[in-house]
Amino acid sequence: MDVLGQDRREGLGRKADSKFVLLLMILVSILLLLSSLYSAEASVFRKARENVLDAAAPILSIFAGPIAYVQGVVGDVGDYFNTLEQNQALREENAELRQWMEEALRLRETIAVYERLQNYYAPPEATPIDGFVIGESNDAFSHSMLVNAGARDGVERGQAVLDDQGLVGRIVDVGNNASRILLLTDVQSRVPVYVEDANLEGILVGRTKSKPSISFTASSVPVTLTPGQRVLTSGAGGSLPRGLAVGVIAGADKGEAVVDLYADYARTRMVRVIDYEFPAFEEAPVEPAGSSEAEPARAAPAGGDPLANPDSRPAAAAAADSNEGVD
Amino acid sequence: MNKRAEGVARMLKASAPTLFGLFAVLLLASPLRLFYGIVPTPILPLVIVYFWTLYGPSYMPAPSVFAIGLLQDFLSGGPLGLWAGVYLVTQYIMLSQRSYFVGRELSVVWVGFAFAAAGAGLILWLVMSLMSGELLPVWRLVGQMFVTVVTYPLFSAAFSRLHRRVIVEM
Repeated sequence: MDVLGQDRREGLGRKADSKFVLLLMILVSILLLLSSLYSAEASVFRKARENVLDAAAPILSIFAGPIAYVQGVVGDVGDYFNTLEQNQALREENAELRQWMEEALRLRETIAVYERLQNYYAPPEATPIDGFVIGESNDAFSHSMLVNAGARDGVERGQAVLDDQGLVGRIVDVGNNASRILLLTDVQSRVPVYVEDANLEGILVGRTKSKPSISFTASSVPVTLTPGQRVLTSGAGGSLPRGLAVGVIAGADKGEAVVDLYADYARTRMVRVIDYEFPAFEEAPVEPAGSSEAEPARAAPAGGDPLANPDSRPAAAAAADSNEGVD
Repeated sequence: MNKRAEGVARMLKASAPTLFGLFAVLLLASPLRLFYGIVPTPILPLVIVYFWTLYGPSYMPAPSVFAIGLLQDFLSGGPLGLWAGVYLVTQYIMLSQRSYFVGRELSVVWVGFAFAAAGAGLILWLVMSLMSGELLPVWRLVGQMFVTVVTYPLFSAAFSRLHRRVIVEM
């Protein structure tokens, strides 16, 4: 070990011991930290983030390939030991899903009939952009993932990201060929949601725990929630489509409803960025902003505007279209 | 010609710990998900900063530490300067305690690392709690620091071999 203790002064860091440089660097970090506290959205920081993201993306892609391969080959070690139970569970789930399929087919037929009766226009389809997860913040407090799709593929800030289970998060930084997803569990994540069958809207707030919680707006009437109720995106604010599956109510914690997410972040590998254009009122007759909140929503369907939103989205939410909800 | 090759080799050796640090940050940012996410990824850059501050501070100057931390800040998406600050403070404290730790057996250095990891975790928790305006749950952080401390001897053995055989002697 005494060889290790020797100080050979060569090359890089000839003056490594000088405390001055070290203290200067600490000062620079603190200044950086303070400035990013007060202006996290400053364009300088954003540009820098996106450039680093772009630079690191090719290297991370090289890493991600072998990692995915090894995980695919080895698989979940636990799977080897409970194959029988898993088979049983899958068979039961399959039977259950078949029943759901029957019901879905029946409902599809019913809806088709209604659509023919009513003069119904489907809302514009959201176009998906597919990508692979190439990176992840293995950090206790910042929860995000990096995906190998960027501005070149049409990804924009604020877009929703889904995997095969449900909502994963939203895009916060967009580089040219990679972007960052802020996961729902991150302390900065805020996503407007509603609880099915409860007629209740709220904001899904990340708490850095594995289960985020819903903070309801103060004006809402107290409603009892039962575990197992579905939580979906409400589309308020206009940057996410309504009705994306988020999770189910798991219980209550300190007066807030805790949500068990559908997405399993340990298995999220392929994701889909939803390029969703809010059905705007651009084509409707121009009205001065803020004249009346309820007017445009009521006027648009009557005018037969194909872009009008057909569901019961609150007009106030639609009016707030312009303010993007990324915190 | 020979002289130039020597110079390049020396440059490489001198910058090797820094390059390891940057590589470790990239590794930390890749979706390793050890045992399907049950085991948190150890914070390898912290081990690297600690190790070379102790055994070869001239190979781990403050600008290198700053660069390693800043890259981690960029890739993790957290506030800029947080990890850079954490690593630099770790280095500052280690440099002041260096004379005590150099030449001691592994167990003593290991305990030292445990303290360093605890200190780093405390700074992280305080800053992040301050920034988010609420006391954040600590268990995830404690778990990650625990895994980092437990795996320290493994990395330490690899790095000391590398440092002795390749960087210093060759």
